[in-house]
Amino acid sequence: MKGKLHGIIFSYEKRSGLRELTEARMPASVPFGGRYRLVDFILSSMVNAGITDVGVVLQGNYQSLLDHLGSGKDWDLSRKHGGLRLLPAFADDEIVGGVREFRGKMEALAGVRSYLEGIRQKHVVLADSDLIINIPLQDVYQAHIASGADITAVCTSNVDSDADVTFFRLDDAGRVKETLFPLRDRTGCHRSLEIYVLSKELLLKLVDDCMSHDLTSFRSAVLQAQAPSLHIQGYVWDGYAAQIRSVKEYYERSLELLDPSIRREVFPAGRPIHTKERNDASTYVDPAGVCCNCLVADGCTIEGTVENSILFRGVSVAKGAEVKDCILMQDTAVSRDAVLRHVIADKDVVVKEACTLMGTANYPMSIAKGSKV
Amino acid sequence: MKKECIAMLLAGGQGSRLYVLTSNVAKPAVPFGGKYRIIDFPLSNCTNSGIDTVGVLTQYKPLELNSYIGSGQPWDLDRLNGGVHILPPYMREGDKGTWFKGTANAIYQNIGFVDMYDPEYVVILSGDHIYKMNYDKMLEAHKAAGAACTISVLEVPWDEASRFGIMAVDGENNIVEFQEKPKQPKSNLASMGIYIFTWQKLRQALIADEADPNSSNDFGKNIIPNFLAAGEKMIAYRFDGYWKDVGTLESLWDANMDMLSRGDLDLLEDSWPIYARLSSDPPAYIGKTSLVEHSVVTQGCEITGTVKNSVLSHGARVEDGAEVHYSVLMPGVTVKRGAVVRYAILGENCQVEAGAVVGGDPESCDPEEWGITVLGPNSTIAAGEVVKPKTMLNSEHQEVSR
Repeated sequence: MKGKLHGIIFSYEKRSGLRELTEARMPASVPFGGRYRLVDFILSSMVNAGITDVGVVLQGNYQSLLDHLGSGKDWDLSRKHGGLRLLPAFADDEIVGGVREFRGKMEALAGVRSYLEGIRQKHVVLADSDLIINIPLQDVYQAHIASGADITAVCTSNVDSDADVTFFRLDDAGRVKETLFPLRDRTGCHRSLEIYVLSKELLLKLVDDCMSHDLTSFRSAVLQAQAPSLHIQGYVWDGYAAQIRSVKEYYERSLELLDPSIRREVFPAGRPIHTKERNDASTYVDPAGVCCNCLVADGCTIEGTVENSILFRGVSVAKGAEVKDCILMQDTAVSRDAVLRHVIADKDVVVKEACTLMGTANYPMSIAKGSKV
Repeated sequence: MKKECIAMLLAGGQGSRLYVLTSNVAKPAVPFGGKYRIIDFPLSNCTNSGIDTVGVLTQYKPLELNSYIGSGQPWDLDRLNGGVHILPPYMREGDKGTWFKGTANAIYQNIGFVDMYDPEYVVILSGDHIYKMNYDKMLEAHKAAGAACTISVLEVPWDEASRFGIMAVDGENNIVEFQEKPKQPKSNLASMGIYIFTWQKLRQALIADEADPNSSNDFGKNIIPNFLAAGEKMIAYRFDGYWKDVGTLESLWDANMDMLSRGDLDLLEDSWPIYARLSSDPPAYIGKTSLVEHSVVTQGCEITGTVKNSVLSHGARVEDGAEVHYSVLMPGVTVKRGAVVRYAILGENCQVEAGAVVGGDPESCDPEEWGITVLGPNSTIAAGEVVKPKTMLNSEHQEVSR
C-alpha cells in the first residue's frame, strides 16, 4: 500500500448551515470532538493508511486552516519529498480578467493541474474535509484494484440527511447506475461519503475533458455524465460516518461521542486521529467540581458542575456554574454561577458571572468566537 | 557555531531509589504529573530560558529516554545549529573509553562536545528535579558577580538541612563553605544540584580532577570543594520557587500531590510552559457513574469509577465501582471493576483486576508498617488479590524490598 495512493482533500465548500461556526473559518477547521478540527479525521485516515503525500485544496477564509495544518508535522507529513502540500487553487477568469475563486471540484483541480501532473503515485483518493470518519482507506484501495473499476465511490446505506448530499443507485454487483441529488424517495439508495479512488491518469483526463467543455462539477460532469462509459463501483462503508453540514448536525454528532460504542468506532486502537499539538497540563477537577458523562480535553479546570458535555482544551468552569448538554471550545471561560444549557460556545468565549444561556436540543444556541456574554 | 551558554544535563544515573519504577528506564524518563516525564522540566526550562543547545548524558538503560527525546522537537530543541544531543559514553583511541565514572567524569568525557560550541558558560543540570526556573536570571547573576561558579540554592527548614548539600555564604552570597549532608549545618541554603560554570575554569578543573587517581570524579564531592579550596569566586543564587528532588518513591508521590494542590507547582498556569512529547489519545471520558474529585485526568482516560486526590496519566482507565484514592496512575494503567487503589504509585500499563485491593490508608495499619505501595510497570494484580501498604512488586509480581 505504501506509496501507491495520493490524497487530495477539498476544504472549500461553503456551508451556510454551520452559521457562526464558519463565520471566521472554513468547515475544514471547525473544532470537533474536544481537541480536533473536522479535517483531522480524513487526514488521519489517509496517514493511517500509509499515504505519504496529501494535497489540501484551499478556498475562502483559509487562514485558520493554515494555522492548524502548519507544515503537516503533527500528521507526520512534514517531509523532504511529498508530505503535505497546500493548494490555494484559483481559476482564470477570461471575462473580467485576472483570477477568481473556482466553482467546483473539477475547476479547482484544473487550477492545480501542474501539481496533479507531479503526483508520484499511480492512484489518487479524493475526499471532502467535513466528514467524521475513521476508515481504513487501504481496504478501499484494495477493493478498487480488485474490482478493476475506473472510479471507486465510498457510500453508506444510511441515507438519513437533511443537507445537500449525493445519492447513488447501485446495481446488484455494487456498480453505480445513477447519481442523484436532491432525492426525496431514497429507498434502496446509498448516500455518497464523497471519497473517490481513481487513477492519476484518469483524473488528469477527466480534468482536461471538463475544462474543454467548460464543466466544473465532479458530480454532474463525471459521476452523472460519464456513468455509462466509466465503471464506477460503490464501496459500502457501514461503519461510523457523519457529514457535518448544519449546526444541528454538528451538535448531535458531537454529543454522540459520549456514547462508548461510537467512540470506539471513531477512535479505534491503532488508528489514532492526529491533530495540532498544544501544550496543556492535565485537566484538574476541584473538590467542588462535578463532572458527569463528559468528554474532557487537557488543560481544563472544573470547579462547577458539568454534565453531558464536551470540553475542549483549556476550558474553565468556575464554582457554582452549571453546564449541561453543551460544547465548549478552546479556552472558553464560564464564570461563577453562570448556567448554560444546549450551548455551543466557540473559542475564547467568556460567559460572565451569573449569566444564563439556554438553547434547545433541536436548536442549540451558538456563540461566536471570542464573544463576551 | 559559538554559543554564549549551553546546558549539560546529567541523565545517566540509575535512580536506584525509585526501585521497580526504574528497572527498565532511566530516572529522567519516569512519568510525572499526568503527561510529563521528569526530563521535561529541565528541557523546558532550557528552552524557556533561551538555551538552545543541550547535551544529555545518558548511560543507564537509555533506550526509552533516547526515543522520548528524539529530535527534541517537542521542546523546540530541533535546531539547525545546536539543539538537543544525546551523549552516551563512547570508545576513544588509547584509553579505549570507559563508562562515566561520576558526574564530573561524564562532562570530562564530553569536553570535545562542549568545545564544539566554544561557550563562555555551561549550565550543569540533573534529570531528577521538578521545578520551573529561569536559568537566564541565574546566568545574569553569575556574570554580574564575575563568578567562576554559581550554585543555585534553596532555603530549607533548618531541621531538614542535614539531608542536603549545604552552602554557607557571606553577606554578598559568596560561598564560603560547602558541607555535604552535615550533622551541624552552618546554613539552611541547600544546593539544588544546578550549577553554572565559566567554561574555561571548569574545563581546567575537570582535567585536573581526572588526573587525580583518588578522586571520585563527582561535582559535589570533588569539583565544588576543589573550586572552594583554590579560592575561585563562587556565589549562591537564591531560588524561591517550587523545587523537588524526586529521587525517592515518597518524594515522587509527594511531588505529584503538590501538583494537584496547585500551590507552588501549578502546571495549568501557562507563563512558563512545560513541554512534553504528546500522545494522540482522544479527550478523557468521565462517565455517568463516576465521581472525580481533586484530581487530574489526562487525554485517553476512561473513568466510570471513583477517583479522589489522584493523578491519572494518559490512557488510564478506572472502571465502574473501582476506587482510586491518593494515588498516581502512570500511562495505560487499568483498574477494573470494584478494585480499590489507595496511596499507591502504579507504573505504566499496570492491570489491577476486578475486586483487587492495592495499598491502604495510613490509618489502616500500624504506622511502622505503612507506606506507599508501588507496582512496577506492566504488573498484573489478580482478581481479588490484596497488596498490602508499603509493598513493592516488580513486573514479574515478585516482592522487592526497599
